[in-house]
Amino acid sequence: MNREKFIEQLRDGLSGLPESEIADILYDYNEHFEIGSSKGKTQEEIALELGNPQTIAKSYRVNAKITKAEKNPSPSNLIKALLAAMTLGFFNLIFVLGPFLGVIGLLFGLYGISIGFVAGGMGSILSTLAAPFFSGIHIGVHPITSISIGTGLTALGVLLLIGSFYLTKFLYQLTLKYLRWNLDVITK
Amino acid sequence: MNIQFKKGVLELCVLSLLTKRDFYGYELVEYISQHVDISDGTIYPLLRRFRVDGYVTTYLQESQEGPPRKYYKIKEDGRQAFKELLEEWEEFTARVNEIIRGDLNE
Repeated sequence: MNREKFIEQLRDGLSGLPESEIADILYDYNEHFEIGSSKGKTQEEIALELGNPQTIAKSYRVNAKITKAEKNPSPSNLIKALLAAMTLGFFNLIFVLGPFLGVIGLLFGLYGISIGFVAGGMGSILSTLAAPFFSGIHIGVHPITSISIGTGLTALGVLLLIGSFYLTKFLYQLTLKYLRWNLDVITK
Repeated sequence: MNIQFKKGVLELCVLSLLTKRDFYGYELVEYISQHVDISDGTIYPLLRRFRVDGYVTTYLQESQEGPPRKYYKIKEDGRQAFKELLEEWEEFTARVNEIIRGDLNE
């Protein structure tokens, strides 16, 4: 493969990235070819040593997606980064995808429990407060008991909610780190 | 040598060289591929990431032959990252050495 062909394939592979970024990346490889030629290497030798331009382009694209997911955290950016990483052939990602989805399910469960606690607690407090106004309703426990149980439940729910929130953030970072690590390991 | 091992250590090697002086891309690639067998193309994506993460800055400098060269200069964040990676590496090699050089006491 000669220089022209290498640069062309690299540019094709990079399409979708901002134009200025593409120009910047191509500059590095053009410079590499020129310096290599001035040291007496042929274009074919240099291209061979650089590796497959399509693979190189993919690793830039995945890198850009991971960086974007880091800078603007959102579920859709995370999913885009995951999908991009899969196109690079991270087979271990498939083995990791199952546990990953399991953890996501667990997180949803935690949020559900937290919200349930808060709702239950609030309900307990509100119904205790409202009971005197509705003669037909009778609560079997002492108002102080039901209010303190309600407060406790609400507080527990809020704490769990905060905990789940931090856990989500932590797992988000962990996922990106894992993708990065894969990228460093596999791009040959 | 195991390929995974080499890739994981590439980051450490590049940062380590940059703590010694400024390099242009070709020089880095040439130096590293003399010692470990990697595709030359793996270094440039890494250098770009270092720049995005604020580990290095770049500047162009004219050369006697050919086009101006893009030099990479390490920044404070890069030195910090290098320090952390180096500590991890040293701890890792120390533990492995304990196993392979130590006596087996059961």
